[in-house]
Amino acid sequence: MANNDEPIPPMHFYGPTDAFGFGQLSEIWQTRELLYSFFLRDLLIRYRQVVVGILWVLLQPLMGMLIFMGLFFVLGTKAGNSTVASYAPIILTGMLCWQLVASSFRDATGSLVNYRHVVTKIYFPRLLLPLASLMCAVFDFVIGSLLLLPVCAITGTSIVWTTAWLAVPIALWLIVFCAGCIAWLSALNAHYRDVGYALPFVLQLGMFVSPVVYDIERLRALLTDQWVWLYEANPIATCIGLLRWSLLGTALPSALGIATAAIVTLLICFSGLAWFQHADQQLADRI
Amino acid sequence: MSIESIQLDKVSKRFRLGAANEYGRLTEAIASGVQNLFRTPSKPVPKRPQHAFAERIEDGWFWALRDIELSIQSGDIVGIVGRNGAGKSTLLKILARIVTPTQGRVGVRGRVGSLLEVGTGFHPELTGRENVFLNGAILGMPRSEIRKRFEEIVAFAEIESFLETPVKRYSSGMAVRLAFAVAAHLEPDVLIIDEVLSVGDQAFQRKCLGKASQLGAQGRTVLVVSHNLAAVANLCRRAVLLRDGRLIADDVPERIIEQYLSEMRSGDGQRHWDDDDSAPCSNELRLRSVSVTGNGTDTPASEVDIDQEIHVVVEYRVLVPETPVSVQIHVKDETGSFVFWSANAPSMNLEPDPWFGKPHPLGKYRSECCIPANFLNDTRYFVSVFLGPEVGVLAIRQDSALSFVVHDTGAMRQEFTGSWLGPVIRPRLNWRTRKL
Repeated sequence: MANNDEPIPPMHFYGPTDAFGFGQLSEIWQTRELLYSFFLRDLLIRYRQVVVGILWVLLQPLMGMLIFMGLFFVLGTKAGNSTVASYAPIILTGMLCWQLVASSFRDATGSLVNYRHVVTKIYFPRLLLPLASLMCAVFDFVIGSLLLLPVCAITGTSIVWTTAWLAVPIALWLIVFCAGCIAWLSALNAHYRDVGYALPFVLQLGMFVSPVVYDIERLRALLTDQWVWLYEANPIATCIGLLRWSLLGTALPSALGIATAAIVTLLICFSGLAWFQHADQQLADRI
Repeated sequence: MSIESIQLDKVSKRFRLGAANEYGRLTEAIASGVQNLFRTPSKPVPKRPQHAFAERIEDGWFWALRDIELSIQSGDIVGIVGRNGAGKSTLLKILARIVTPTQGRVGVRGRVGSLLEVGTGFHPELTGRENVFLNGAILGMPRSEIRKRFEEIVAFAEIESFLETPVKRYSSGMAVRLAFAVAAHLEPDVLIIDEVLSVGDQAFQRKCLGKASQLGAQGRTVLVVSHNLAAVANLCRRAVLLRDGRLIADDVPERIIEQYLSEMRSGDGQRHWDDDDSAPCSNELRLRSVSVTGNGTDTPASEVDIDQEIHVVVEYRVLVPETPVSVQIHVKDETGSFVFWSANAPSMNLEPDPWFGKPHPLGKYRSECCIPANFLNDTRYFVSVFLGPEVGVLAIRQDSALSFVVHDTGAMRQEFTGSWLGPVIRPRLNWRTRKL
């Protein structure tokens, strides 16, 4: 019953509230319950009609780790030359981060297009759809991270507990970077489907341009300083390097690299927000 | 208490003509960007001169809506009336915030709920319970509210024992009931309903309309698009008429309906589709024309005498050899009440149609339905035409293809001179009285 005592809600005019798209953030906060519903939906759908169910979350990074360990064993080379940690936890941190990036990119890119029957029938902040995909990837990431404990125990690597807490803000950094990228990718894909087709190649390349299956120290031996800086401008590379440093005590990425990566992250996030708002204006017409 | 609840200031919306994703490829977008950079004049878009929408086309853009000014008070129930393509759905989508207007601005007070479709976001893999929460959240219900009303929703949908079953195993009726149950428990400040809701059965239609009037009684604002004029008249306190993307009238429903019908009245008892592109068609069939003849002649007429047979003639072309074809007509009266429907199926006909159910070779066909004399009342009727491979399967539908008026010639008025107003039909029947 519309109660007369209720305060009269203000007249709300549709349209962008600011050019940078910051208004979207407050709207997302207001509709966080829907974000949770979308997240839950994606999560539930993913593990329906799957026999081992949620175990896949653990199996995927574990198998990735084993494949690359096997590969390097066969090749007879060492992918890392760290003296403090054995190869298994190094590659596992890389795989976990990479799967966070790859699966959030993959699922989020298609999120708007796959749900166009919903997007063209009802309004909600459209950014919720890619963000729900990201939340799923983060969920996998968090569960998968628990694998580090047994892997470290088995390989006899000790976790550096004094800096381990830093892993949380570093992981958050990586997640925020992913959020900026998927704002770009999902809205681009709604307008130009090419993005969806190009993505697998980009991801394949990205896996080798980022220190997923090797560590930065190994790379430093190959590159001169200015190239290392360029390499570390990639926030994925820097975040993986930082995570390994905080947990396993491997070498720290260069300060210049960290600063550049931070600037790149901010640029991508702000431009992603502005672009998404711009693209959103024509989404229902174009999708 | 009259607070403005919806406000539209000079709202216009245009769409790009041609493929919806003309800029759907990145390369094209870049090419066009480069083109604009050098100010190369763009290729003129070929215009179709006979197109009914010609005046709304401008340099490859189509104006779906133009300069809509509308202000609605809270508690109003407003019907939006207009022909197909008049811009009703676009207006609803703008109000529901799905589509952004090209010009002008839209203001709404409070929470908006839009029901342009039943069960938006239903996922077949999820169970009934999970879908209630998901669909409710998409419609804008807080989780706590869904939880509070969950029992009610499930009881309303009558699916208690299937709660933990994935919706993909539901019958379509169950899925629709569940979806509607969720929608019926939505309590937004402004509710926007499309007529697609009323395609269900009669009971379902009544439920939808009942819900709308209940919300109105609670002081909420309701906007309804419907072809069902009787529903608009009963439900709404106000109606607006759209024509060619413009709002041309805003009044009490009775007057709007009158005006709408007088617009529909134009016509000479026939409708042709010369242009192959604009004709209603499916992969196998294309409608060529629909006409009504009466008065004992073969000339199409929009006005026929009550004491003559009325023939509804449908011409179509078969595009794929050996296609089976069934023709169906629906006849409704001015208020949208369904008078009857008929197909050329032998058991529904006095004499079997020789072509029914037979594979049709390529070519043009003409099906004729004869409505007996002294059967319809002296009022206006609207004919919809449906073609499909079998009865009940609709490949082509042409709603309100044309209308005709039955004239009272006095043939049934030898003894009675009063008004026949009211009944939908006026059949001449057999009577016999015996002394007991």
